[in-house]
Amino acid sequence: MTKAGNWKSYERVLLPPVKNLHHLDVYRAGGGYETLHKVVKELEPQEVTAEMKRSGLRGRGGAGFPTGLKWSFMPPVKPEVPRYLCCNADESEPGTFKDRQLMEYNPHLLFEGILIACYAMSLKACYLYVRGEYASWITHMEDELEKVYDAKLAGKNMLGTNHSMDIILHKGAGAYICGEETSLMESLEGKRAYPRIKPPFPAQSGIWGYPTTINNVETLACAPLILDRGADWFAAIGAEKNPGPLLYGISGHVNRPGVYEYPTGMLITDLLEIAGGMRGNKKLKAVVPGGASVPVLRADMIEGVTMDVDSLREAGSMLGTAGMLFLDEDTDMVAFLRRVAHFYHHESCGQCTPCREGTGWMENLITRIDDGEGNLRDLDLLLDLCDQMEGRTVCALADAAAWPVRNTIKRFREDFERQCRPAVWAVNA
Amino acid sequence: MADFIRNPVVALPDPNPEPHFSEKQLSFTEEEKARIAGWVRQYPTSDGAVMWTLWLAQEKFGFLPPEVLQLVAAELSLPYAQVYGVATFYTQYFKEKKGTFVLDVCTCFSCQFCGGYDILAYLEEKLEVKRGHTSACGRYTLQEVECLGACGSAPMMQVNNGPYAHNLTPEKVDELLEALEAGKSLPFVSITLPQDEDEMGGNRRTDAESVENYVTPPRSERTQ
Ligand SMILES: Cc1cc2nc3c(=O)[nH]c(=O)nc-3n(C[C@H](O)[C@H](O)[C@H](O)COP(=O)(O)O)c2cc1C
Ligand code: SF4
Ligand code: FES
Repeated sequence: MTKAGNWKSYERVLLPPVKNLHHLDVYRAGGGYETLHKVVKELEPQEVTAEMKRSGLRGRGGAGFPTGLKWSFMPPVKPEVPRYLCCNADESEPGTFKDRQLMEYNPHLLFEGILIACYAMSLKACYLYVRGEYASWITHMEDELEKVYDAKLAGKNMLGTNHSMDIILHKGAGAYICGEETSLMESLEGKRAYPRIKPPFPAQSGIWGYPTTINNVETLACAPLILDRGADWFAAIGAEKNPGPLLYGISGHVNRPGVYEYPTGMLITDLLEIAGGMRGNKKLKAVVPGGASVPVLRADMIEGVTMDVDSLREAGSMLGTAGMLFLDEDTDMVAFLRRVAHFYHHESCGQCTPCREGTGWMENLITRIDDGEGNLRDLDLLLDLCDQMEGRTVCALADAAAWPVRNTIKRFREDFERQCRPAVWAVNA
Repeated sequence: MADFIRNPVVALPDPNPEPHFSEKQLSFTEEEKARIAGWVRQYPTSDGAVMWTLWLAQEKFGFLPPEVLQLVAAELSLPYAQVYGVATFYTQYFKEKKGTFVLDVCTCFSCQFCGGYDILAYLEEKLEVKRGHTSACGRYTLQEVECLGACGSAPMMQVNNGPYAHNLTPEKVDELLEALEAGKSLPFVSITLPQDEDEMGGNRRTDAESVENYVTPPRSERTQ
């Protein structure tokens, strides 16, 4: 038995097998929005937050912060001070595509989750920040949202009560950094999306300086499930300290890539098997378990490692967004790292010198190695560069750039050394 | 010493650029103004509506030269500098004229190792245009972009900031270009979830074309 329990008979809840679930009538026919009814009519806001806390849900946006706790950080309600929820749908972490599938197939679960969160924290409005590339999905959600408003499930005096909650779609325009919570807020305020220094944390001073909570799409989509079936049910799914259903976005050299829903705490080896194994029966070389920012794992490091925060930390990586990339034996790790470094260089907002310059130098150095013109000492220079960048910047992007570089070089050092010029030139060669 | 002031390392924007649009063209219709007002109402201040308004302006004018940014700034009563700052921060706002079709090919790491660079190279050859440039006929702009959030159906690309084309192969690219040339609009493609295929025998969305082929084309020698 693994931490995921009897996953073979797991029944999906985030993406249940129902045709056309994205239509409001189909969603309601399956009992949709009844939880919202129950919550708004029967529970006090504090009880909702308490239930969320008890469920043990951790944020699915990458940082893994306990959601109930985050909700309880909101200051006491003052009628004259507006407060907001932000839903982070700026999914741009390379290797991550689960939020898009959730918005495509089960948007109403997200809307219901947002409305429940609004009720729990006594909020009037939620900004749903979707990355600009998801234009088609924004249009689809706009249509469905209109139906939600027509059915009086949201808006002024929703459900015939004296509560009013709005869901407002905001379209980004292509910047990875907008996924960072404070940067997203700057972007919502119509500015250049430069992350802010924390503290003050969003719960004290968020959008336009008002108390704000920010959660990922998948996190909010878990809320109706928890309130419907109870925190105990949720806490019993998957790994004990990091429970719940999880969307695994599997990509790379596997036979059946795609989004899979299973409990947390699945063995990486099981997931590889579920995804149809490696393409062309090749051997596995490396796994990136949670999006580009997390350290890459060598094939010999994944034995017995499960997909939850603790197990992956022990193995020397992180859960991140659970967007898993499997790479086969032919993969050129230098080319891999070159592309990752290019990504961070391109996406750095340029506010802090260590990040703006560091990511550029990283890309230059790795490119040089990839072109066969690097020296062995460049590898140490790169590792030193990682030390200089980490923890010295406004946001975590610089750290997120340093982790993969440091760990890929450490774990695949031979691959890099082979590409470098030798340290000592052979005499008379 | 102060030489860098006269000869800055970074090229500064031309202070008096040649306008691309005439005074007459530069205005929003009543209907557009109503939409903008609707967005402004959704935020505590008009700043929040900048991004939506820039999207509208880009749809209308095709790209965002300074005079269009001026128009947006005036409509929202914001300083030009703020609108300029926002427009230049995000990659999806076009600061210069692009081709009729903007092809954004993803080459980020999942796509990289599933043949994203193959597709890019194929398009470069076929359209006779280098990545990051517009073809001589002015019809195609080819761009290399970061992860578009469809890594499960790599390699993939986005056309005109709109529909996605998944699981690309050279044949699929040919078909797609033919459809674009014939003036057809691309369908919304919904990727079948592997678990759905097992449990429901296909895609859950009936209002979208579905892709049932997961197996992405093998990586060729060129992919590096
Ligand atoms: C550079 C950077 C990029 C991020 N991108 C995303 C993102 O695309 N989507 C997301 O949900 N969270 C992203 N996050 C995490 C958010 O800052 C935040 O922790 C998260 O949205 C909180 O939601 P959760 O508690 O539900 O996980 C990013 C963080 C950093 C530092
Ligand atoms: S760490 Fe990088 S992305 Fe984050 S604020 Fe600093 S420069 Fe911007
Ligand atoms: S890497 Fe291409 S879509 Fe994610």
